[in-house]
Amino acid sequence: MRSTKLRWLAAISLAAVALAGGGAQASPPRYGGTLHVKLRASSISLDPRDWAPGSASLADSEKLASLVYDRLITLDDYGKFQPALATEWTHDASSKNWQFKLRAGVRFSDGLPLTPPEAVAALQATLGKGFEVGATESGVAIHSSRSTPDLLEQLASGRHFIFRAQPDGTLLGTGPFFVAESVAAMASEVNPTAIKPAKIRFQANDGTWCGRPFVDFVEVTLGEPALRQLFDLQVGKTDIAEIAPDLVRKARQEGLRIWNSAPQTLVALRFEGTLAAPASDQLREAFWLAMDRDTMANVLLQREAQPAAALLPQWLSGYAFLFKSPMNLQRAKELRAAFPAGVPGVIQPLRLRVDASGDLFKLMGERVAVNARQANLLVQVSPAVSANASTPAPVALHLLAWHYDSLSPHAELEAFVKQMLDGADLPAATMDPEQLFTEERRLIDERRILPLVLLPEYVGVRPNVHNWNASAWGDWRLADVWLEPEDAASSTTATGSQRNSSTIRNSGARP
Amino acid sequence: MTFRTKLFLIFLVTVLASVSLVAYGVTHYTQKAFERMDAQRTQALEVQFKKEFAQRGETIVQQVENITNADVTVRMVLDLARPNADASLYLHDANGAAQSHGLDFVEFVNSDGTLVSSAQYPARVGYKNDWVTSNKNWDATGAFLKREELPDVAALSLTAVRTQTVGDKTLYIIGGRRLDQNFLASLELPEGMRALLYRNLEPTFVDTALTDANGAVPQAESFRTLIEQVQKQPQDLVETISWSRDPASAETFHAMPLKGRNGELLGVLLLGSSAKELVLLQREILKIAAVVALAALFIGLLVSWWVSRRITRPVEELANGARDVASGRWDTKIDVKGSDEIAQLATAFNEMTGTLAAQKEKLVQTERVAAWRELARRLAHELRNPLFPLQITVENLQRARQLGPQQFQEVFGEATATLKAELANLNNIVGRFSDFSKMPAPEFSKVNVNEALRDAVRLFEPQFTAVGKPHIATEYFLNDSLPEIDADPELLHKAFQNLVLNAMDAMPAGGTLSLRSTDGGDTVRIEVSDTGKGLTPEECSRLFTPYYTTKQLGTGLGLAIVQSVVSDHHGTISVSSEEGHGATFRIELPKRHTGATIKPKAEAATLEKESERAATASD
Repeated sequence: MRSTKLRWLAAISLAAVALAGGGAQASPPRYGGTLHVKLRASSISLDPRDWAPGSASLADSEKLASLVYDRLITLDDYGKFQPALATEWTHDASSKNWQFKLRAGVRFSDGLPLTPPEAVAALQATLGKGFEVGATESGVAIHSSRSTPDLLEQLASGRHFIFRAQPDGTLLGTGPFFVAESVAAMASEVNPTAIKPAKIRFQANDGTWCGRPFVDFVEVTLGEPALRQLFDLQVGKTDIAEIAPDLVRKARQEGLRIWNSAPQTLVALRFEGTLAAPASDQLREAFWLAMDRDTMANVLLQREAQPAAALLPQWLSGYAFLFKSPMNLQRAKELRAAFPAGVPGVIQPLRLRVDASGDLFKLMGERVAVNARQANLLVQVSPAVSANASTPAPVALHLLAWHYDSLSPHAELEAFVKQMLDGADLPAATMDPEQLFTEERRLIDERRILPLVLLPEYVGVRPNVHNWNASAWGDWRLADVWLEPEDAASSTTATGSQRNSSTIRNSGARP
Repeated sequence: MTFRTKLFLIFLVTVLASVSLVAYGVTHYTQKAFERMDAQRTQALEVQFKKEFAQRGETIVQQVENITNADVTVRMVLDLARPNADASLYLHDANGAAQSHGLDFVEFVNSDGTLVSSAQYPARVGYKNDWVTSNKNWDATGAFLKREELPDVAALSLTAVRTQTVGDKTLYIIGGRRLDQNFLASLELPEGMRALLYRNLEPTFVDTALTDANGAVPQAESFRTLIEQVQKQPQDLVETISWSRDPASAETFHAMPLKGRNGELLGVLLLGSSAKELVLLQREILKIAAVVALAALFIGLLVSWWVSRRITRPVEELANGARDVASGRWDTKIDVKGSDEIAQLATAFNEMTGTLAAQKEKLVQTERVAAWRELARRLAHELRNPLFPLQITVENLQRARQLGPQQFQEVFGEATATLKAELANLNNIVGRFSDFSKMPAPEFSKVNVNEALRDAVRLFEPQFTAVGKPHIATEYFLNDSLPEIDADPELLHKAFQNLVLNAMDAMPAGGTLSLRSTDGGDTVRIEVSDTGKGLTPEECSRLFTPYYTTKQLGTGLGLAIVQSVVSDHHGTISVSSEEGHGATFRIELPKRHTGATIKPKAEAATLEKESERAATASD
């Protein structure tokens, strides 16, 4: 099942490559230049140990961390694991004991060589409990307390980077770039009320083991609003920008190059407190039936999202199509009519807090309230909790966004259950896809969390950016990108605009 | 209270009442005038609001028509008219139209009533708006008030609907402006007035639904009663709200119901007029009135004093003249000024005193003649008794000259003895008259009244109990706690002695003599009663007249002496009697005499004994 899934993912990627590459004109790569990137996240962390699973900022942090750090292995666009810092790996029959041989001659950005103890320290920090990581003569040995046949998927994704912690707390990596400069957000000198966004400047690592990247610098600006990014992309102030799903259509109409990943973010509704208890089963069922996922995906999100009935996306689990989420307003009303007057949401509105930032998620929250009101359930949308808020007021519902982080469906679902449902480790048997499906079915049937829509990641890419080989699961692979000079790019723009709304897919670059 | 004071107060009260009345009248009519002015202002503002409301409605209609006729809208209608049209393409179009046309609310509704795009509530896209499709004549309908559902709250809007039709497909364009604090801020209000808007979007009063040009209204709860009244009966109402104890803080609010297209109450416009200006003016008027009143009061005070003095001066002179007349100055005259009633009264008074003086002189003359006649009669009576024996004796002596010497000698001896006796009698009579004319001035010392009474009775006790004479019993009702009084013991003894003697004479057949002493505060009261035949009223009135007596052998000086003594002691004497039931003499003597020289008691006692001896000798 695992290999089938990866082959499916690879097929998507290759098709995209064929589409993108087939239309592109062949031109020799060029070294040099600064790649400008703008992100919506106002802050990111380059320390994988700080990352909270599923958080909204995790995707951006992971993208930038992949510039600085390497993993032991990677997954190519063909669905095969490729050596990275590890050149060979073996495991026993139980898949509990794994041996990885480290690549020789790899050096950190400060010139010091990568040694097994440093790899062990990094892996032990990111793998966490349940794993014992030890150094061998030429690499690392990982022992898991339970069978972990998906260890390669885990190590090829998420936060499992190899790094070395400096005495001052900063981390160094062996990746194609290193952090040259980091400027925190500050008040503008011209307009004190405006905030100058934070910037991180990455410099090409000439001594990296996989070859110097094409661009000299990658300059990342954080905290840029979606509309501003789109505007900057149009006027050439940035080379790469995130595009909000509801702006994708507009961006396409403007003739911009838009790349999208496989669904990366799950938008879901979570019940809190007494509403999550078994006594509120009927209420949760009424909500489940009242949600109009199609309208959310097709109207509010302009057909740039998918209605979600499962917790894991199809590309990750392979069985998501088996889940259905039929809207049945009449049944929802019947359930609601049977509630006694004291049930929350009947007279007093249920407070729904939108945990994800941005107008899009606020709109989603309002739609949830509208759908609920159609079933005579009262819901009031509260604004997202600001970072300065000390103690957020208790709410009955959360509209949350979960970013898929791992290539292992088991690890992803387990992280989801732990983080979102305060659950424990999934049973060992769930390593089996059928058991995993059963477990997810059980979770869905509990209705403690209602999946609503799946959002892909949309990226606007300037025509002067060549060899854009982002993976379907969201790895941008900026080391492969090279920049064409602006005058040359302008002629390419004209050509590109002829393609108009063609979609770029990643080309499946390999180290 | 004197007549002048009364007059003064009457004038003063009259002035005060007049000033108060004028102040009240001015305040009252000023308040009425202000209230009328305030009502006119409110009415003008109401008209202005309605005019403004209509203008805003026309503007909104124009803006919605602009959206309706825009190319992008026409394209949208054409696109949506196609089969399987993708309405999601227009999700944000309403927002764009709202921004470009300056409207708060814009919605596009498909011909089947489905919401295609909403600027204010995009999450509602896809839902039906049947109220839009139910009206087929939107293009002839002006702006109207509407309850606008928003994601978090409901709002009040002034809304217009227009349509764009292609074939049999119609697109409804709904546009509106929010009625909120900005709307209120755009109203031009006179000084001291403000406008508030209550958005009646909840079934009960909600204080946060009330706003003014600055936003939320503090103390919005104070409007609850007024709003609830309008909610019950949507009609214009007026109520005054006091924000503090200071009346100047009060505001009068004119509440106007704002109704929706179907007559439902969607809002209440409150036009508030501050009472501050009115109250300050009232205070100013009251202040001026107070100053004027004080000034008038002061002037009135002076005028009243002058007038009352002018009026009462002749009356006072009359009163003084009357007092002088009362004190014996019967010849008192008053200056007569003018010819008014008071002057006539003064003239009459002068005539009266003149007549009185003449009458008095005549009376004195008459009394003097009567007194002399009485004295002559008494003297003739007194002297006639001894003269007759003298005449007989002298005639006996003349006849005795014819007798022998021995017989003559015997007759002569008897005659001379008789002559001596009668001459002594004559001398005694003359002495008594002489004594009465020479009543000495009292010499005051401490005297025990009870003792004095007992001493006076003690002199006559042998006669009360003498054999062969009628028996007279004595009863004492004396207050032993009486203090000693300032009196002349000799004169007092003489007075009591005469009273006892008088009582004894009044009881020739015997009876009871009662003596009583009581404390009268500043005085001592003494009563001497007998059980004799009593006195007639005429006798009572003349009893103390000198030389008046009811007895055959009395000189009529006894009770006159008593009255003289009592008068010299600044006391009073009276008699009460009922014929056949005896008589009672009451004397009231002051306890103390200011300015009198008081002799020690021992000396007084000596004097008393001497007087007793003298009295005994005289009797």
